Amino acid sequence: MALYELPTNLKKHSLCPGCGHGIILRLIAETIEELGLQDKKILVLGVGCSCNANGILGGDDFQCAHGRASAVATGMKLYLESQGKDVCIITYQGDGDAGVIGLAETLNAAYRNENITVFTINNSNFAMTGGQMSWTTLAGQKTTTSVNGRDCAYTGNPIHLPEMIASQFDVAYAARASVCDVKHITQAKKFIKKAIQNQMDKKGYSIVEFLSQCPTNWGMAPVDAAKYVAEKMTVEYPVGEFKVKE
Amino acid sequence: MAKKLLKGNEAVAEAALRGGCDFFAGYPITPSTEALEYLSWRMPELGRVFIQAENEIASINMVTGAAVAGARALTATSGPGGSLMCEGFSYAARMALPYVLLNVQRWGTGLGTLDSGQTDYFKEVKGGGHGDYRSIVYTPASVQELCDMIYNAWDVAEKYMVGVVILSEAYLGQMMEQVEMPPFKERPDRGWAIDGTGLTGMGEFAKKTKGADGMKVKGEGYEQIKEDLQDWEEYGLDDAEYVIVSFGLPGRISIDAAKQLREEGIKAGVIRPKLVWPFPEKAIAKLKNIKGLISVETSDYGQMVEDVALYAKKYGLNVPVYLYAHGKGVPGVRIVRDFYKSVAAGNEKEVF
Amino acid sequence: MKEIIFAGFGGQGVLTSGLLIAYMSANKDLAAVWMPSYGPTMRGGKANCVIKIGEKDGESVGSPVMENADALVVMNEPSLDYLAFCKEDAVIFANESGIPKDYKFPEKMKVIFIDFLGLAREVNNEKGQNVVAAGAVIKYFNLFDEQYALDTMCQFFSEKGKGKFNDINSDAMKKGFEAIK
Repeated sequence: MALYELPTNLKKHSLCPGCGHGIILRLIAETIEELGLQDKKILVLGVGCSCNANGILGGDDFQCAHGRASAVATGMKLYLESQGKDVCIITYQGDGDAGVIGLAETLNAAYRNENITVFTINNSNFAMTGGQMSWTTLAGQKTTTSVNGRDCAYTGNPIHLPEMIASQFDVAYAARASVCDVKHITQAKKFIKKAIQNQMDKKGYSIVEFLSQCPTNWGMAPVDAAKYVAEKMTVEYPVGEFKVKE
Repeated sequence: MAKKLLKGNEAVAEAALRGGCDFFAGYPITPSTEALEYLSWRMPELGRVFIQAENEIASINMVTGAAVAGARALTATSGPGGSLMCEGFSYAARMALPYVLLNVQRWGTGLGTLDSGQTDYFKEVKGGGHGDYRSIVYTPASVQELCDMIYNAWDVAEKYMVGVVILSEAYLGQMMEQVEMPPFKERPDRGWAIDGTGLTGMGEFAKKTKGADGMKVKGEGYEQIKEDLQDWEEYGLDDAEYVIVSFGLPGRISIDAAKQLREEGIKAGVIRPKLVWPFPEKAIAKLKNIKGLISVETSDYGQMVEDVALYAKKYGLNVPVYLYAHGKGVPGVRIVRDFYKSVAAGNEKEVF
Repeated sequence: MKEIIFAGFGGQGVLTSGLLIAYMSANKDLAAVWMPSYGPTMRGGKANCVIKIGEKDGESVGSPVMENADALVVMNEPSLDYLAFCKEDAVIFANESGIPKDYKFPEKMKVIFIDFLGLAREVNNEKGQNVVAAGAVIKYFNLFDEQYALDTMCQFFSEKGKGKFNDINSDAMKKGFEAIK
């Protein structure tokens, strides 16, 4: 017996070595398999590094325009529900997709408490386009559009999406996870499971933001990038559950 | 079935439902709002999905999500709302998703006004969104036509896997006219829809059809659509000296104007396109011995007139092409009649 | 074919006057088009509508816009602008309490002053001045049989959930008939 096997529904991806996306996608694949949702899952994809999730989780995928995943998921979920189809609709978006260009769509879906699951991967930059400043970029962090370090007096401060949603809207679940070490990865999987189970139990909107290492754009070795998440990012972005509706 | 006096925007909404529409997402905007208001109570009554979205970007993306899940999806808007949707049209076209847009045109650029107009011709006919795609664009001239066109819109959209636009006008949406409402239609099984299994969604659908790849639709589908969908009303073309080309309400008015001109012994002709993409080029192709073409439209600088000139060239009509651009509102019969006479008297300068 | 314009302030019910007559035509399977003003003009300002109705079977309405009206029902002074859309020998139904008696109408027009509001009040139907106006137009042009007009109006209001006013509305329409000698 093997100590560890990859979930059967996870296919090969082409993400950078050391990227947090790979860990998160594996956790989602495992959870889908454990909950028996392989034939019910539609991954609604944002634009960015999240595009790399196209076709690697089995089931159906749908590639959206940049930022619009929450709106697409809303239409899809409500229609399929009206047809009596019990499906699991997960948006998979970067922080730029869900929290910058798609902020309106994300907040409005949360506002309506749509029964969907939103996963947003926060690597503190626009990674796919080569590492520009995102609303999640830390104060002082260097990116290709904040070459001297982010000046928050000029650009605004880092955005806290799950806290914002938890404090303002009547949603089922809002949390932030990290995938920088084994302890956090184990915790992240629990959050994923809750966020998906909520939808299947018709409890309403769930969002989980994942702090994710981006060695390529941060210019770090994978181990250093994981350390950066643990030591720097979690200071600005606390890990935990902000809203849990019973 | 007896005819009923119905308002354009409400009649078209009911006809859409009878044509199988089972999903709507939209945002209120004058002069299209009555359609959204009507659907907001009528769709729940029929067990169908209605969403008042946060804006038009979300509306078209909700429509996209529902369309790929198998819905006969509709959105309705006007002017600025249509501009916001353009991103979504382009994405839907790239994925060859069938959907229907009801554009109740208001006049003008930017905020425009609430007046009637035809200033969205370029936007709907020439694309609007980025990339290279076409939508099928119907141009109704009466409340009955409005209903008949949207009633069959999803059949057409699903046959060719493209978006269909019902290009209405403010006045057409606001006016009441007698309508014979068609019966509820049985929806044919489309044979595909995304449902989580990975077996019947876009990927598999792409293998079975020409769709899901905009390039293929362009190469094979678009030419076929041009051949199949040629529809227009004509008046007096056999011996016409000048032929007015005009769609929608101005088209209907132009036919009245031509009838009055004939009563005066002036040989006027009219082509009223019922679709503007594909353009009714077969109507242009049959013109012989005419002295000129006149595009009558409620734009400011002329939009359809460019297509009139292009198709005249295609079919070897070496005649001047004139433009009467009325701006906002709808021209009266007298205005169109007088413009025709002015053209015939040599007082107007051709634009092409 | 008859083209009739109804114009006044928002709230005077002119849109309904026109709609009533269009509905009566449509109900006889005669052609009918009703075109209202809409949008900001509806929100408290000027309101108007034009109707085009067929008078015999088989007639159809071409242009739906106001242009060459046979009649104008005019409730207030600003709405006299619509004289520009009337035939030179059009019939003007002028509101006695809204239009100056000495207003200089174009010479060939036939002008009938009627106290729409006063007549409506006589039958305790303050809001019924638009129904009085519709009655006057129907009677003047002999568009419909009086009983047909009354019955069809009641049907119209009943469909709109306003059937409880049918009695006073019938009285108001009769006042409109009587206003035309």
